[in-house]
Amino acid sequence: MFSTRLRNLEEEMGADFGVFAGWSMPMSYGSYLDEHMAVRSSAAFFDLSHMGRLMVTGKKEEFEYLVAKAIGSTEAGKMVGPTAFLTDKGTFVDDVMIYVLGESSWLVVTNAVNREKVASWIKRNSGLEVEDLTMEYAMVAVQGRRVWEFTDKVEIEPLSFKKGIKYMGIETFLLSRSGWTGEDGVEIWARPEEMELLLRKLRTNGIKPAGLIARDSLRQEMGFVLYGEDIDETVNPLEARYWVFSLEKEFLGRNALVQALRTGVTKIRVGLKLKKGERVIPRRDSKIMVEDQEIGVVTSSTYSPYLTRVIGMGYVKSSHLFLGYSSKVEVRGRRIEAKLTDFPLV
Amino acid sequence: MEKRTKYLIVNDRLYTDSDEWVKVEKDVLIVGITDYAQKKLRDIIGVDLPKPNTQVRKGDPIAVVESVKAAADIYSPVDGTITEVNERLVESPELLNKDPYGEGWIFKIKPSGPLANLLTPENYMKKIGE
Repeated sequence: MFSTRLRNLEEEMGADFGVFAGWSMPMSYGSYLDEHMAVRSSAAFFDLSHMGRLMVTGKKEEFEYLVAKAIGSTEAGKMVGPTAFLTDKGTFVDDVMIYVLGESSWLVVTNAVNREKVASWIKRNSGLEVEDLTMEYAMVAVQGRRVWEFTDKVEIEPLSFKKGIKYMGIETFLLSRSGWTGEDGVEIWARPEEMELLLRKLRTNGIKPAGLIARDSLRQEMGFVLYGEDIDETVNPLEARYWVFSLEKEFLGRNALVQALRTGVTKIRVGLKLKKGERVIPRRDSKIMVEDQEIGVVTSSTYSPYLTRVIGMGYVKSSHLFLGYSSKVEVRGRRIEAKLTDFPLV
Repeated sequence: MEKRTKYLIVNDRLYTDSDEWVKVEKDVLIVGITDYAQKKLRDIIGVDLPKPNTQVRKGDPIAVVESVKAAADIYSPVDGTITEVNERLVESPELLNKDPYGEGWIFKIKPSGPLANLLTPENYMKKIGE
């Protein structure tokens, strides 16, 4: 079990810990509902030090062949993503964000659960060098609609980053204008001791700490997928409607995707909105039903504090992608009305 | 009421192994979930309540508390008949988080047999490892 280097501070701030992807992480600091709404209405910060961070170096052509999205013209200081590493069947090895450092070096942010898998997958499929920086740097996201009222304004374009700059007077290794909540903000990599100083400053400035439960409800409102829940090695980007590839270039898994485009797919990812007032959360693998027919399964679900209703996502048969139709989800033997919707859900 | 640990354990109650509290009030028992249980479940977003006038057996799952983390069964602490349920929880399930021993009570039950195998506050404290 891994523990983040910010754990002592998080305990001091009242974190309630739980296990995620082999890491003991702050799940919430009392109420995820408050933390979620803090991001939607003001700002909050999340410890993301569990996310895999790999430095990859070597020949650009080799790296480009592994990445499903074109990175050819992306200049240093820009991010590519979300994109993905795919299997030769076109399914997800992982979905990743890539920081372009230069002509022959890239930083890859993986899902926590896939850190080691991705590192060995890159080495197995290329001559590229991989160095794991995950334990070296803490990573934090500061996110929120009013984030710049509480923090320094960052003069960086969305999905761009800078290395070695000071933020709130603290030395960072890397700072990017990115996040995974649907709100503005930054993601920061810094040495753990520097990060601790930064978090104390953010706290003093009135920014709440938030845990992984709020991060999960924020991403579900936006319709963002989570590896291991909504995508994995059995799902391809067409089924997930996750546009992480550029067919104009060659990449591992491309042939399978072109083939799937020709033949079509049998299942498609869809959003779910339960009727207001229904206060049950369909757990993973709950059935989605239309007229007594099982048309799919739920992969993620939560209570949305912003919409004050239960939301979710799942896969339905592509022949039954009845967007806007009230289907049913089965929860503890009860069938509950759930509208099939597009993303985002907010 | 006394705060002796990071979880509130109230002295005028008895407790179950499955984290319900029981308060004896004349000939009925008031039942809810403990502070420990609500903290473990985290934000509670819904409750399925039993129907009044239902006869239940000790250990029957008779209500469900729904949180983002899990759907948790609430068990009857005795044999008996449900006399009343806390309808306010339907609209305001967060009362279970805010006031688990007070406004967050779940149901009242008239026991048809003796109270057995319930834990004292001290024993409940030991049970949750505090």
